[in-house]
Amino acid sequence: MKVYVVDNGGQWTHREWRVLKYLKVETKIVPNTTPFDELKDLDGLVLSGGAPSVACDSNRMGNNGDYLDMATFPILGICAGMQFMSQHFGSTLGPANVPEFGEVRLKVSDHSDLFAGLPDEFVVWGSHNDEVKTVPEGFRLTASSPSCKVEGIACVDRPLYGVQFHPEVENSEHGTEIFQNFLNIIKDRK
Amino acid sequence: MTGLFDEQGFIDEAVEMVRESIPAPGKAIIACSGGVDSMVTATLASRAIGDRLLAIYVDSGLMRKGETEEVEAMMKRMGINYRVVRAADEYFDALKGIEDPEGKRKAIGEKFIRVFERQAREFGATYLLQGTIAPDWIESGDGVRDTIKSHHNVGGLPKDMNMTLVEPLRDLYKDEVRQVARKLGVEASERQPFPGPALAIRCLGEVTPEKVEIVREACFIVEDEIMKAVGAKEAVRPWQYFAVLLPSKSVGVQGDRRAYGYTVAVRAVDSVDGMTATFSKLPLEILNRISVRITDEMKSQVNRVVYDITSKPPATIEWE
Repeated sequence: MKVYVVDNGGQWTHREWRVLKYLKVETKIVPNTTPFDELKDLDGLVLSGGAPSVACDSNRMGNNGDYLDMATFPILGICAGMQFMSQHFGSTLGPANVPEFGEVRLKVSDHSDLFAGLPDEFVVWGSHNDEVKTVPEGFRLTASSPSCKVEGIACVDRPLYGVQFHPEVENSEHGTEIFQNFLNIIKDRK
Repeated sequence: MTGLFDEQGFIDEAVEMVRESIPAPGKAIIACSGGVDSMVTATLASRAIGDRLLAIYVDSGLMRKGETEEVEAMMKRMGINYRVVRAADEYFDALKGIEDPEGKRKAIGEKFIRVFERQAREFGATYLLQGTIAPDWIESGDGVRDTIKSHHNVGGLPKDMNMTLVEPLRDLYKDEVRQVARKLGVEASERQPFPGPALAIRCLGEVTPEKVEIVREACFIVEDEIMKAVGAKEAVRPWQYFAVLLPSKSVGVQGDRRAYGYTVAVRAVDSVDGMTATFSKLPLEILNRISVRITDEMKSQVNRVVYDITSKPPATIEWE
């Protein structure tokens, strides 16, 4: 199975690569300027977080839009990756009412995909200044936190998923399982 | 998530990588601080190129108490070619008047390279091995990534450096390096992380020999008390633990006399990979012993001790 990580400049992009490597997936970090054509044979893609404020610096998000429009394989957007995904499909972003750095108390409302088999509430880690203000049309909300409503989303009719927090860091509980669930979604489609 | 890393596979690949990167009769020096990253790199490189390797330890005047002697003894026991360079004056000169943390890191990074270049010339080496690991280049920033701090071995490298870099540990984090170190039997496997710019970045603001002396002693007390407590099973050993000298002074009272001295911040964190960390929930009794010992033994300089209760993010582990 081939799942690459698109580098949007995150501090933890390489950690996403490490988790995938540990899960025995063929993986590589690629710049977000990589043409979709070079990625079209993948089985899945992770859009990393990054320093850009997506709302203002969307030019620094490279070809993320192409990947979202052209891919038929599953995509998981993390932090800025999810924010870009949401904006791309019509929702608004803005500075977070309460930014979250470090511990976040996650409340899962939908266990059907990324959160399959996980508890209703657990601790994850976030690091974000901006947030997604509304769930984009055609998506459902999968998780929230006391400070941030949109912590997790999933597209209704395409395999697109997003999380505001960082399942790839050590301090996030069930982080590896979230990645494994993403890989299971890929496997089930094959 | 540990245990999924294949140390032996990595060791074989890394030795091969060094062998291919430094073909005979090419020679290399390795920047060796005595920490686990550089000692693992030295061990791998020594397997790959044997006597064509020279390890250089620089006593920058910024190292911890007794560290130079400790590292020299370790290198001797390893049986590799090594040299200890004493260059404290050069480092303090380079740091004079610099308050900005990035300025300090870059001045130190450049100084290291100038020292290494001189040593390389003498040894006839054209390659520089470094124990650079993933957080070093991630946090140093690049085209797409913000600079959180310029690690001396990446963001602090001068542009006109004339040696070829070889960095076999670039994709590893500290927990993985330790696994490799244990597999290789490297003595430094459990040493706590210590940054390249050393005590210079634990001394906020301008660095002077006097301030480094204060923070060196405070760091020693923190390490000593924590290791004693760990030995007595009063606490689990934190991932990293040290003291930071703050640049501001505050009022105190010592033996009925007014005191006006520095504040020392104690930092102890738990982490796996250094990319996220939580402050250690040390028992208050241990923090009390640290505080009393610092303010008693260092009464002429320090009259206040605080404990840092911030995680990473939003803080970083070191203060600069």
